[in-house]
Amino acid sequence: MTASLLWKRIWRHKIFYLFMLPGVIWFFLFSYVPLYGIQVAFRDFRFTGGFTGSPWAGLKYFHQFFDYYQSKEIIRNTILISGMKLCIGFLTPIVLAILLNEVRNVAFKKTVQTLSYLPYFVSWVVVVTLMQRLLSQYGGPVNNFLESIGLVNEPIQFLNNTSWFYQMIIGSDIWKNIGWNSIIYIAAIAGIDQQQYEAAKIDGAGRFKQIWHITLPGIRNIAVILFILATGSLMSAGYEQLLLLNGPATASIGSVLDVHVINAGIGSGRLSYAAAVGLFQSVIALILILTVNRVARKVSDVSLF
Amino acid sequence: MKKRLISPFDVLNYIVLALLGFSMIYPFIYILVYSLNDGKDSMMGALYFFPRKFTFDNYAQVFDNPKIWAAYKITLMRTLLGTFLSVFLSTMMAYALSKKTLPGRTFFTFYIFLPTIFSAGFIPYFITLQKLHLINTFWVYVIPSLFSFMHIVIIRTFLQGIPEELEESARIDGYGDFQIFTRIILPLSGPVLATIGLFVGVAHWNDWFTGAYYVSNKDLIPVQTLLQQMLTEAEALSNAAQQASQNGGQTINVNMAGSTPESLRMALLVIAVFPILCVYPFLQRFFVKGTMIGSVKG
Repeated sequence: MTASLLWKRIWRHKIFYLFMLPGVIWFFLFSYVPLYGIQVAFRDFRFTGGFTGSPWAGLKYFHQFFDYYQSKEIIRNTILISGMKLCIGFLTPIVLAILLNEVRNVAFKKTVQTLSYLPYFVSWVVVVTLMQRLLSQYGGPVNNFLESIGLVNEPIQFLNNTSWFYQMIIGSDIWKNIGWNSIIYIAAIAGIDQQQYEAAKIDGAGRFKQIWHITLPGIRNIAVILFILATGSLMSAGYEQLLLLNGPATASIGSVLDVHVINAGIGSGRLSYAAAVGLFQSVIALILILTVNRVARKVSDVSLF
Repeated sequence: MKKRLISPFDVLNYIVLALLGFSMIYPFIYILVYSLNDGKDSMMGALYFFPRKFTFDNYAQVFDNPKIWAAYKITLMRTLLGTFLSVFLSTMMAYALSKKTLPGRTFFTFYIFLPTIFSAGFIPYFITLQKLHLINTFWVYVIPSLFSFMHIVIIRTFLQGIPEELEESARIDGYGDFQIFTRIILPLSGPVLATIGLFVGVAHWNDWFTGAYYVSNKDLIPVQTLLQQMLTEAEALSNAAQQASQNGGQTINVNMAGSTPESLRMALLVIAVFPILCVYPFLQRFFVKGTMIGSVKG
């Protein structure tokens, strides 16, 4: 194609470039300008100087983070919490989709499905407020119920308690997301050829064999893709939930990178330091996602890119 | 007719799923019951499915509070404006990207994809918002959430399913590109626009973070941030109420009726959740389909 031909084609599409213009500008301002601004992690950022006007500081702020007495704890907490979320939060929607698929009663299935999406549509503030009230030691229905059936003698302190913290984090995460995340698997299962099940039945395969040999392989590809996507967030444990659920009482096991960045950056105004921590987080996330993507491509021929 | 056997697996399965469904809805039922019960009475506990001392007092007091009305207005405005602009502009971009003949199509797709795998992080983003003078304005709610890679891909995939012939015949009828977009493409895209509209709308409605960290002007606080403030400062409401009553105040007066800070908080929570509960069952069939399109082929 000659240059003038290309130019002609571009000119013919001029209105479409106009359509893209707001988006192109937006992505430039809100994604690429901040990328350029990553350099504040290597500078002594002063607001008047802007991204490029402040003096270089080298790796000072990275050293500051790794010398910080709690940094190991924060990294460990982050990996622990998001690792648990990754495994449990990844498996439970698959289990739900399979269980729903085994239900023959359409009305029952529809009802459970509709109810299961509900928590996804409320904010973390609402979820944590619900938890505070339901799990309260003072007249909360959960403790009331446990006491009335004689399971506990005195109310359990579920929140702000290190021995229940992880259960609360993971439990509320599952509660909020299980239904929504199962949609995709339900769709994938619906796409499986029914003849396979018929054939398996004739061969004498029971319920579990059918699930193991037909349903699970049928959703394998989509599961791999979602797993790759999820690994990208291993260094981020979900800042909304943890900002709201973590308090002084649970700080030793509940402080995570995202919250540390927000508190140090906006709370204490240490912007360069917080940017350095955030950059560390982003780089690890990128390495993780690229690694898992490569491994997945080798092992199962499924990959994102 | 063959008798259908109900296996132990079925029984267990139905029980597990019924319990799951119950756990999804019960917290909301409980909060509704709590908010409709006399606040002081609720503190005694043993409240499960029905109000013991039924009252609308909690709601009356919440609705009497001008701060809450103002917050509701902010939430409503940002949700309507933000959703409309986001859906309209995203669809325009997705429509352009759905044109297979568009020179530079791959480049632009990559241009919007890259930030999803490597982001600058929170701080450079925050500084950018400051430099753009968005901090502490109403627009910080609307502009930074206009576009998302995922939404554009979902819409693009949908648009690619619209037959080219429709556009061809419109062109023969003398329609220009923009007219084709507004008169043919948009009307045909109802389901996907409803899906994305729901996603964006719910995100706007539920966002408390922007109000808490990017806005300090008290007049710009949305409902969810108000709820978060009550959550983090457990005593905030009662303090405010005491202060208000000391100043001959107009905010919430705890002493008058049987309401407690807790029962008022629950009433506000119901108000904050209610609109979503009303909308989402109707849009369900759209978003189930919409997410599938986007994620399977995306």
